[in-house]
Amino acid sequence: MKALQIAATGMAAQQMKVDVVSNNLANMSTTGYNARRADFADLHYQQYARPGTISAQDGSMLPTGIQIGLGVRPTAVSVVLAQGSLAQTSGDLDVAIEGKGYLEVTLPSGTSGYTRDGSLKRTADGEIVTSDGYPVAPGITIPSDARSISINADGEVYAYFVEQVAPQLLGQLNLVGFTNEKGLEATGSNLFLESPASGPPNVGAPGLNGLGVLRQGYLEESSVDSVLEVTELIKAQRGYELNAKVITAVDQMMAATSQVR
Amino acid sequence: MDATGYVTLSRLSGLAREMDLVANNIANIGTQGFKSQGAVFSEFVAEVPDGRSLSMARATAWHMNMADGPLSQTGGTFDLGIQGEGFFQIESPDGPRLTRAGSFTASASGELVNMDGLRLLDAGGAPVFVPPDAVAITIATDGTMSADGTPIGQIGLWQPTDPLTLAYAGGNLLSAGNIEPVAGGEIRQGFLEESNVQPVTEVARMIEVQRAYEQGQSFLDAEDERVRNMIQTMSR
Repeated sequence: MKALQIAATGMAAQQMKVDVVSNNLANMSTTGYNARRADFADLHYQQYARPGTISAQDGSMLPTGIQIGLGVRPTAVSVVLAQGSLAQTSGDLDVAIEGKGYLEVTLPSGTSGYTRDGSLKRTADGEIVTSDGYPVAPGITIPSDARSISINADGEVYAYFVEQVAPQLLGQLNLVGFTNEKGLEATGSNLFLESPASGPPNVGAPGLNGLGVLRQGYLEESSVDSVLEVTELIKAQRGYELNAKVITAVDQMMAATSQVR
Repeated sequence: MDATGYVTLSRLSGLAREMDLVANNIANIGTQGFKSQGAVFSEFVAEVPDGRSLSMARATAWHMNMADGPLSQTGGTFDLGIQGEGFFQIESPDGPRLTRAGSFTASASGELVNMDGLRLLDAGGAPVFVPPDAVAITIATDGTMSADGTPIGQIGLWQPTDPLTLAYAGGNLLSAGNIEPVAGGEIRQGFLEESNVQPVTEVARMIEVQRAYEQGQSFLDAEDERVRNMIQTMSR
């Protein structure tokens, strides 16, 4: 009886779903977080009798045969691409991305990371960095005597000075798009890395080539829908219980088998 | 063993196989687009030496429950649910495959693929290409895909020419002999078809199988008892 192993694959799948749901719920207030979803597919099938097997001398054949599936396997835990709601914060370095695209961050290793978390900060030298202190590409430094900072929808960063009427252009924040955003590799700390599945980064000014625009003074909230997650949690828990029930039933059947004298 | 034992054994092995099937259905309760499976038992008539015949039970076939699973809203651009008839056509190394699991994503080269990386084919049997710079992709109920309002292709729905050739191929895919385009199904963007496994039905089947199995076991016990008694009586 394979039912024991089959039910075990089912329990493992539901367990994984609970893991994904709990991670989503834990990140309910993470800036720029997108919910993840676990996808499953049926495992291979064992062929006891192939459809079309000749079953009698006159050539009549089995119309369907017997195929028994071997359970379930996870295929993907993919990011559900959804725009989180924008919350007003009034911080001059808080930028929300409305639409597609990521901010490019230079990691300590020199490689590029990508993030939708726009709660930017400045260092002692005035450089624009993420909350973890990684510089935001292409590297913009705010002069210490700047009175205020303005970032427009197209990503241009301007500084205003006390003795100067016209603002000074400090640099341009670009956005990065990917052909397959779901293929990005999540590394934690709201960061993603390019992967062979994501395709190469397409850097562009906000608002062009399908990229989103920037909104200064706003942050993108987590796109986790708590009601949806709780219903998923209930489904996963019940699914787990049903699979456990199968194991109990098979156990009893096996006990019955061993009782036969 | 005498014939009584063999007949009961044929029933028990069939029940064990049906239990595997029920377990597979329950394991796939959260699998998108999964179609539940049922077993068909038939009578198998065997000839015995003294000229009489003996009837045994045999699980010879299975059937696929083609009922639609419920559509659940996900909001994903490339989450496609089918309402009504038809399947998506997927290109696999072993030839075309059919599926009702509509969770797709754009690959690095911009083609729509399923979660195993196999390409989705359109109404003409060609891969579906998504322009990377499109802001909004919409897919109409007839499968017409538009990027920012401009039609760029049509996702087709297919069906097997002979429904009897439909078989499970694993990985949410079904294999079929020949396939043909079908009208009548509607594609719903932002929805996914869930598994059509009915927990109540499966649990009921599971109990039924388990009890029938135990019955077979107690029958074997009773038969054993009878033979023992007979031997004892005869040898007294």
